[in-house]
Amino acid sequence: MSDDGFFGRFGGKYVAEILRRPVDELEKAFNEATQNTKFLTELKLLQKNFIGRPTPLYFAENASRENGGAPIYIKMEGLAHTGAHKINNAVGQALLAKKMGKTRIIAETGAGQHGLATAAACAKLNLKCEIYMGEVDIRRQQPNVFAMEMYGAKVIAVKSGSKTLKDAINEAMRDWASNFADTHYLIGSALGPAPFPDIVRFFQSVIGQELEEQIQEQNLKVEALCACVGGGSNAIGFFSSFIEQKEIRLIGAEAGGLGPEPNHNAVRMSGTAAKDGIVHGYKSRFLLTEDGQIAQTRSISAGLDYPGIGPQLAALGSEARIEFTAITDKEALEALAFFAKYEGILFALESAHAGAIALKIAKETPKDKVVIINMSGRGDKDIFISSPVFRPNEWSVFLQSELDRLKEGLDIHDAKSLSSSPSKMES
Amino acid sequence: MHNQNKISLMAHLVAGYPTQNLALKVADALIEGGASYLEIQLPFSDPSADGPVIQTACAKRLELGYSTQEGVDFIKKIHEKHPETPIFLMSYASLVYTPGIENFVTMFKEVGVKGFIIPDLPFDNDEGMRAACEKEGLTFVPVAAPSMSVDRIEKLLSYDFEFIYAALRAGITGSKTTIEKETLQFLNYFSKSPSKILGGFGIQNAEQAFQLKDFVHSIVAGSVFVKKIIQEYEKNPQDAEDKIVNATREKAKELSHTH
Ligand SMILES: Cc1ncc(COP(=O)(O)O)c(C=O)c1O
Repeated sequence: MSDDGFFGRFGGKYVAEILRRPVDELEKAFNEATQNTKFLTELKLLQKNFIGRPTPLYFAENASRENGGAPIYIKMEGLAHTGAHKINNAVGQALLAKKMGKTRIIAETGAGQHGLATAAACAKLNLKCEIYMGEVDIRRQQPNVFAMEMYGAKVIAVKSGSKTLKDAINEAMRDWASNFADTHYLIGSALGPAPFPDIVRFFQSVIGQELEEQIQEQNLKVEALCACVGGGSNAIGFFSSFIEQKEIRLIGAEAGGLGPEPNHNAVRMSGTAAKDGIVHGYKSRFLLTEDGQIAQTRSISAGLDYPGIGPQLAALGSEARIEFTAITDKEALEALAFFAKYEGILFALESAHAGAIALKIAKETPKDKVVIINMSGRGDKDIFISSPVFRPNEWSVFLQSELDRLKEGLDIHDAKSLSSSPSKMES
Repeated sequence: MHNQNKISLMAHLVAGYPTQNLALKVADALIEGGASYLEIQLPFSDPSADGPVIQTACAKRLELGYSTQEGVDFIKKIHEKHPETPIFLMSYASLVYTPGIENFVTMFKEVGVKGFIIPDLPFDNDEGMRAACEKEGLTFVPVAAPSMSVDRIEKLLSYDFEFIYAALRAGITGSKTTIEKETLQFLNYFSKSPSKILGGFGIQNAEQAFQLKDFVHSIVAGSVFVKKIIQEYEKNPQDAEDKIVNATREKAKELSHTH
């Protein structure tokens, strides 16, 4: 738990007074709910029946053999309903909002996974749902937009600023400021003003609790836990039970993007570009210009493309309890291909960053200890990004012919075959 | 021009928008139109307490690049020309905190700023902002909102601020404010306090200004001006100058009852 909203020098409640009341009311309701057996029982049932928990701790035997060194295990959060860990928090907060008498949920989303999870939780719990999403992200994560709409959510395109996650957060905060009487802002990562970082960690810590039991059941000696870090919700949930177990290394993989040059990545902890700052209602490490404007970030994974990091992770990083490393787009894609090929598991691009660092660490670790990856999500949502990388010609032919078919209004049975198109297929 | 019924007006503008020169003319026009104070907003990339109008102006200005130093230069020019008009700087915590709070305060003190309005620096956890201001003989202006609990309002009052900026509706700048009973009730909390109340958010017309005048030290209006500037400038930047100057001056006259 935070100390009155702070984790060391990070955290806090830096909100305009307009938002103070909803934030304080939320804090009170959250503190009550976590002491309320009825609430906790309901949550447990939803975790089991709706989310599909517990998620397996899976031994990646083939990948371990190919990679060499320590055995690699994968915590399969991607098997949770809607395909990522985001649902743990979405269901928890939606249930909390319902107990508070709220009827409408708003959320921001980057990769779309949090929006998707929120939309599903709202459908399940009969809450009205509106999702703010940057225009850039709507484009790169179109499959999730489709699913959110199927779940009955309204997806609102954010056209301000860089048109990505940070702008969606601003827009959601504005909405909340006007509508908090009936609306809960269901923030998607372990960041924002207190009490959000505590709330999100609480609902995500189910990952770490399960993992601790699974480690015991499978009798494993753990060298390191590896998670990707955008805002930090999967990482803090995954690490939560192990922070005091100092013999276990905790590794956070940040988006190294194209490389170390400014604006080419979202490296807040492992590089030298970030500074202490106050943004989005909390104090943490941020990528800022010299004046304090928010800097542009870049990553192939929408979920890691964010200039800040949750305050608890920033604190644990500055105490060196968590080791942070930057993984480039290229390394993440290689890890994605590796696990797909050897394990039949397709990581989300975000999670592939954790996969990449785990491969490196496992190589340097003796065989009697294991390295565990949090696969925060599965990669289905990324096909519009990864497919053009791995098979550009086929993908472009496919898209073009689908577009032609839709324009001509033809059923798939009547359309021209793909192979009649000019571009050659690899064997 | 002197008028018994004049309402004290704090007029808001975005530093450097649409251009450094044109914004200087806007400042002149607002003062000519009767503004007693200027609230100058230093554009920030993520103005989460502002509505679409001011947000647009800040974003457009930042697209062309705008440094804090340019903001300093901007204010320096206005202050030299209008030394009698107190200038308050409005911005966000990130721009204040990043260079170091004391540095930020000193930078703007030197060019004549009187006070600072930073909505995301809460009055009871202000990172030393108030102390830094007072050390320089300046003033930190907290922002109060109608949604505050009575306890929190009491706490705010116990801090004895020189000014309090009362955001009159539960929301962000620029949506329409109807001056309702609740708003006046909220303002009543402050009537006993010695703090001077700056009441704003969404004031569009003379009628609202008139309704408020007995409850506040000064009314604050911003997006009503910025909207006019955006409309004219984004339509046709070449011949927007006269239109912008006229529109902002006339609106300031209307709101301050300077006839
Ligand atoms: C699969 C997946 N992993 C990780 C993240 C990053 O978020 P966080 O750092 O909060 O876990 C996202 C965010 O959208 C995601 O979709």
